[in-house]
Amino acid sequence: MSLHKARIKAFQDVLEQDVIDIVQLQRLAFNGIPDEKGLRSIVWKILLHYVPHEKNTREATLQKKRQLYQQFIDEIIVTPGGPTDHPLNISPDSSWSTYFKDNEVLLQIDKDVRRLCPEISFFQSATEFPCEKVVNSNGMKRLHKRVEQSMLTYATLERRGLGVSKLSSEIRRSDSVSSGDYAPLNEGCEAHWEVVERMLFLYAKLNPGQSYVQGMNEIIGPIYHTFAIDADKENRQHAEADCFFCFTNLMAEIRDFFIRTLDETESGINYMMGKLSHCLRKNDADVWGRLEAQELRPQYYSFRWLTLLLSQEFSLPDVERIWDSLFADDNRFSFLIYICCAMILLVRDNLLSGDFASNVKLLQNFPPMDVSLILNKAVEISNV
Amino acid sequence: MAKKTYDLLFKLLLIGDSGVGKTCILFRFSDNHFTTTFISTIGIDFKIKTVELRGKKIKLQIWDTAGQERFHTITTSYYRGAMGIMLVYDITNEKTFDDIVKWLRNIDEHANEDVEKMILGNKCDMEEKRVVSKERGEAIAREHGIRFMETSAKANINIDRAFSELAEAILDKTSGREADADHARIAVERRPSRAPPARACCS
Repeated sequence: MSLHKARIKAFQDVLEQDVIDIVQLQRLAFNGIPDEKGLRSIVWKILLHYVPHEKNTREATLQKKRQLYQQFIDEIIVTPGGPTDHPLNISPDSSWSTYFKDNEVLLQIDKDVRRLCPEISFFQSATEFPCEKVVNSNGMKRLHKRVEQSMLTYATLERRGLGVSKLSSEIRRSDSVSSGDYAPLNEGCEAHWEVVERMLFLYAKLNPGQSYVQGMNEIIGPIYHTFAIDADKENRQHAEADCFFCFTNLMAEIRDFFIRTLDETESGINYMMGKLSHCLRKNDADVWGRLEAQELRPQYYSFRWLTLLLSQEFSLPDVERIWDSLFADDNRFSFLIYICCAMILLVRDNLLSGDFASNVKLLQNFPPMDVSLILNKAVEISNV
Repeated sequence: MAKKTYDLLFKLLLIGDSGVGKTCILFRFSDNHFTTTFISTIGIDFKIKTVELRGKKIKLQIWDTAGQERFHTITTSYYRGAMGIMLVYDITNEKTFDDIVKWLRNIDEHANEDVEKMILGNKCDMEEKRVVSKERGEAIAREHGIRFMETSAKANINIDRAFSELAEAILDKTSGREADADHARIAVERRPSRAPPARACCS
């Protein structure tokens, strides 16, 4: 048996256990999950505490969650059918005012999901399993339609002869030029980016304290992609629901990175950047000193690295490989610090000879590199 | 002293609502290309371009910022060191224009008092979708005594011009006080994120 086949077998054996040996699964996943047989999909679901360790409760849990998600869609997207009270109702919790506030959030989400992973065609292509209630609603329930219409409908009065006027209205389409290939698909179809838009909108509605923050699209993207290309048809069919809950669970761990008022707290982004700086100083005082002397602040590069769990720094397959290790680690975010530190150490020679500008550029556009090199280095650092 | 490939270093900042085209403007200027396939900017991005003005080589260090509110703590820390700020809105989007006032307030709060400002109404190639007239753009600029230009990163309209006018305005301010160019250069080298060199050398 080849080494690769043996690895797949090892995963399958663990997944077959009545109660999964989570330590064993973590150890396997830490070294990378094979792309075959939907393994990454199921393992991530377990590591992100979505699928239970007990084999006999798995089906029931999934079923329950998937139903719940349908309920969210019904209640938040399908049924509301628009505001019910008077548009000029000045009460701050009138349904119109909520509708407009929601649309502001939606507009931001809409802009961002149309910019998700442009280097691959996946998000622009049609999903096999569109949300029937949405795509067969004459466009009425499509989220992007909501922001298109509320922003861009206009009417012009044309005068024709004696007192005859004709009101011609036209919907200006926001997508025709600006969004390139991220055009909405026809009635009955739905692109993957539209699915992502729906999940993010539901998340914003269900987590009003946090709502939507730019960058969340980059966190949900790789999870959804992984689930939507699962080898198993039923899993693909429920990729959206499963992804929504896994994303919610992951956000529960990293949401503080996205909240400005928590920047200075122990779970906030400034603290994380401080930890990285400290880690770098400990492991390579020369590089640390060099960056300090150049006043090249950690937030110039590591704000994005840490907030997005490196998802904008590498190609999608590499991001997925890095997340295997990240999700497998109990101290997930300590390991993230080690990975970031490893990245810096691996370009140390360039940093030591480069000036401020070339160093910022280097760190903001990290050179393509074998990720296993980075991960090995990170492990090395973690053992010091 | 290490040999310098430029005479002066100007630090510029691009701000404005999300999706107005800040990254595209910068990419057009630095790489002379346009693409719609940009990911959203998280935190802060960075480009360098050297231009020649009045016989001087000027290195422009341009910081591109994220538009959303959440990132303001990160991005406002760049205001202080900036010598020029471009405020960008999208002529096809009313809200981005209304928010210019908010961005101006941000500058007042966080930037140096004498920072050079310029307002850009971007996407002016999309005439059929325009909702903000050029006159309104000019009016708000006049009201605040700021330069104004309509641009298109896509059709490459006024992009170079915007950057060189802003750079020239900074140069005007600098040159009066620039008694010793070498001195200025040292200041640039040693304190890249503090006060502009001209002020540093004549304080």
